[in-house]
Amino acid sequence: MKIPKSLRNANWQLILAAPVAAGILHICATFAAPYLTAASAYSRLAPGLPVNRMQLLPVAAAGAEPLPFASPDARYAMCRFNTSTGPVDVSATLPPDLGWTLTVVTPEGDNIYATASVPSRPTPVSLVLVPSEDAFLGVTMEARGIANSATPPTAVAATRGIIVVRGPDKGFAYQNQVETMLRDAKCTARSF
Amino acid sequence: MLSHSALTPAHVALHRMQKRISMLIGILGDWAAFTGAVLILGLGTSWYMIDVGTSLTTEQRGPWVSWTSAGKADADPYTRAHFARLGALPITSDLALTYIAYTDSEGNRLHSSCDYLVEGRNPADNWWSITVFNDRGDLIANAADRHAYTSQSIAIRPDGSFSIALGRDASAGNWLPTGGAGRLALKYTVFDAGTPMLEKAEEASESLPLIRRMHCR
Repeated sequence: MKIPKSLRNANWQLILAAPVAAGILHICATFAAPYLTAASAYSRLAPGLPVNRMQLLPVAAAGAEPLPFASPDARYAMCRFNTSTGPVDVSATLPPDLGWTLTVVTPEGDNIYATASVPSRPTPVSLVLVPSEDAFLGVTMEARGIANSATPPTAVAATRGIIVVRGPDKGFAYQNQVETMLRDAKCTARSF
Repeated sequence: MLSHSALTPAHVALHRMQKRISMLIGILGDWAAFTGAVLILGLGTSWYMIDVGTSLTTEQRGPWVSWTSAGKADADPYTRAHFARLGALPITSDLALTYIAYTDSEGNRLHSSCDYLVEGRNPADNWWSITVFNDRGDLIANAADRHAYTSQSIAIRPDGSFSIALGRDASAGNWLPTGGAGRLALKYTVFDAGTPMLEKAEEASESLPLIRRMHCR
């Protein structure tokens, strides 16, 4: 069998190496992409949010959208947290209505904690954000011999990120009610 | 052509140099082709998987596309890169499913020069919303300051169905203005707090609205 000259002269080492090199480049590019973007959601929101304080965002409007594809179908309260100087307490009560959520989002956009309202009852949320789950948060009341009937807050390990409380828009008549519920959400830093 | 006797050392050296140059060009050509192929394959496939997505990372129902691991801490690298590049803050798909449509139900690009009718059924016990954007994800400025309908703000027919007119000119009933935005995108978000949303994906996707093109200018 006669092999065509073009095939005989082809550099097979390079031809076989190309898909391997392309695969390596594909993996590197995919993993690097989130870090190469200059306009992630966190970097867009962070400059306008005070640290460790909940802030009610204005209604998303044309030309004043906080983020791409941010819908005015909901109002948002956000808190940019930083636990490097101490834990951050988060509390909110989601009303008995569909569409309310509280999420803790990392700078990379991962929801590391998320809870939603249920229609049957209010949903109280109490979190303590700590830099790591092994962080010492002081001697517990039980260790000090004091009876503690209160439910301890859920510990979530996170150094930086944004707490997002979302209240669905129900129309103009309910605007004040939704804003009041969002303003009641708290995000407070405490020392170690 | 030079005769054999006319070959001088200078000619031989020139001939050798020509051969070396052509060899070098051959090698450089091979490497250029290799580099080009690696860049196109490596970066091209990465861009496609991040920007468009495949059945591994997205769920497509008609014109509606949803990233199944959106916002999850254990999301795959393509989903993470997609939302990082988009600059959006997705609600975790454990709580809500978010679908984006850039085309109508027949696959034609959504454009503000056309009028559309978005028709669907109100999914029972779910909160949902439909928002219209331009294809960059910006809201479209309009005098009515209207950009979205939710299950609580839309007018629903007695049989539980609804329709939303999407177009430049005002129309009776539910109407979302598109102005002169050019290419459009529709976002449909559906919540059900009772059940993890991914378990309800099939049910939610069955109730996804149809996008019918009525006419174009």
